Amino acid sequence: MLTLEGVQVNFGGVQALKSASFFVAEGESIGLVGPNGAGKTTLFNVISGVVRPTAGRLDFRGASLLKLPEWKRARLGIGRSFQIPRPFGHCTVRENLLVAQRFGAGKKDPGRIDEILDILNLRDKADRDATTELALTEHKALEVGKALATEPSLLLLDEVLAGLETSSKRAFMERLAAVRDRYRLAMVIIEHDIATIATLCPRVLVLNFGQIIADGSPDAVFRDPEVIRSYTGETTLAEAS
Amino acid sequence: MSNSLLNRLLLVAALAVAYVGVPLLFGGNAYVLGLIVAALTIAGVAVAWALLGNLGGMVSFGHAAFFGVGSYTSAVLAMKLGVPVFAAMLLGGVGAALSSIAMLPALRLRGPYFALAILAYAHIFQILATEMTPVTGGAGGLLSIPRFPKILGFDFGEKLGGYLIVLTIVVLAAFAYDAIRRSTWGLALKAMHDTEVATRVVGVPSTHLKAAMLVLSAFITGVVGAFNAHFISFLDPDYAFSSGWTVLPIAAAIFGGYRTVWGPVVGALAIYLVDQLLFKPILPHGHQMVLGVLLCAMILFSPGGLMPALRRRPVKESRHAHA
Repeated sequence: MLTLEGVQVNFGGVQALKSASFFVAEGESIGLVGPNGAGKTTLFNVISGVVRPTAGRLDFRGASLLKLPEWKRARLGIGRSFQIPRPFGHCTVRENLLVAQRFGAGKKDPGRIDEILDILNLRDKADRDATTELALTEHKALEVGKALATEPSLLLLDEVLAGLETSSKRAFMERLAAVRDRYRLAMVIIEHDIATIATLCPRVLVLNFGQIIADGSPDAVFRDPEVIRSYTGETTLAEAS
Repeated sequence: MSNSLLNRLLLVAALAVAYVGVPLLFGGNAYVLGLIVAALTIAGVAVAWALLGNLGGMVSFGHAAFFGVGSYTSAVLAMKLGVPVFAAMLLGGVGAALSSIAMLPALRLRGPYFALAILAYAHIFQILATEMTPVTGGAGGLLSIPRFPKILGFDFGEKLGGYLIVLTIVVLAAFAYDAIRRSTWGLALKAMHDTEVATRVVGVPSTHLKAAMLVLSAFITGVVGAFNAHFISFLDPDYAFSSGWTVLPIAAAIFGGYRTVWGPVVGALAIYLVDQLLFKPILPHGHQMVLGVLLCAMILFSPGGLMPALRRRPVKESRHAHA
């Protein structure tokens, strides 16, 4: 479904992505991990069109995305959330979802908005001001909801669990699993919590210094010496501890 | 009675007063009718400016350009090509809309940078109008621009006819503004204000929407400018592109409440008529100062403008209603 090959991004003299290559299959759930500054969010920005790569190939369902603006990519079925929630100002929760649905990729099914509100536990907040009247968990849920309302076939979630308390995190994870199962869409999730990733994603990519250094099952990836070194500076977990 | 029903009744009453009451009361008073026409001319530009400012999120200091281009396009088409005046007026709007396309690159800019860029564009059009002497008459301008015709015995070239024309332009512009604001396009435009990139990643073509608002705003302003040209029957570049066609509508829109549909109209009528009928006779050489003070007071005490202040219920009444 999505193929990246040798994707490179330079910000002036800083190389945010060196040569990122991987693919995402239809319906696949992938965890994207890596130390801070590894280039994870830049990678999402490249896929969603917020940042143009300096070099490389980026194909979605066989067609190049490179020349398409963000909004055309959304209409092709690429939905994303932002790490810091960006609700639409002066709009209610429902209006946020309506904008996403009206301009997104899907068939504009009127029942989908209510379904998303239910699945993300936002039904009783539907008429609240999205900027001023939501708690952090609800803001995070709305980020996911906006992306879902576009009816994507590929969903990119950028640290939607960050900053949540353990109990909220568990509940949120259940909602994400429900989303994945209900809509059968491909998901790439940036997350620091390894247990969360292992629960939701059968495949994990590790990004370090702008390169994919590991790609495999959570169990295999988190035992990979290069991955351990990228996080701890040591080659084994025993040395690191 | 629900707020929505009350608002509709108020609107119907206001339109009845405007279309029937004003002609009956002031139809014979050319001076007052002339002032109302001038106020409505400002109101038309104010509605167009507010449409761009509120929905498009762009503050323009260059609406005089659209006003001027609209007025010259219509006048030249009517005078030199014999286009009927009403058709020429609409084509004036088209001319202004086309001129706004030259400003589309400025949409990449934000806030004060956009405002300054569009101000610069306005000056370019004024210079063009001055230099293209064979078409525009140069600095000397155009005289004897055809007036509005008689239709079924009613002379639209007279003050009352002009009043009905400009009133209709303003009402249609306000209805168009309201229709867009209520649509999902309007919702997307509102959503874009704080976080444009977040709207783009859900599929909103934000630059296209902003461009559409700029072109529509220019079209409305151009039609108003064209109306003015045929109403006063004279144009020169200093008048047609005067900064007054930018400043007064902005003041009117902010005074009335530029985030409301009817605020710019109420604001234009209030500040222009109060200024001309009340302050000018008292202070012939400094009456604009009073307007400045009033505008400052409005910004300080009701930043949303006059319309939101009028809608606000007194605290005591509100508490009583909930008791």
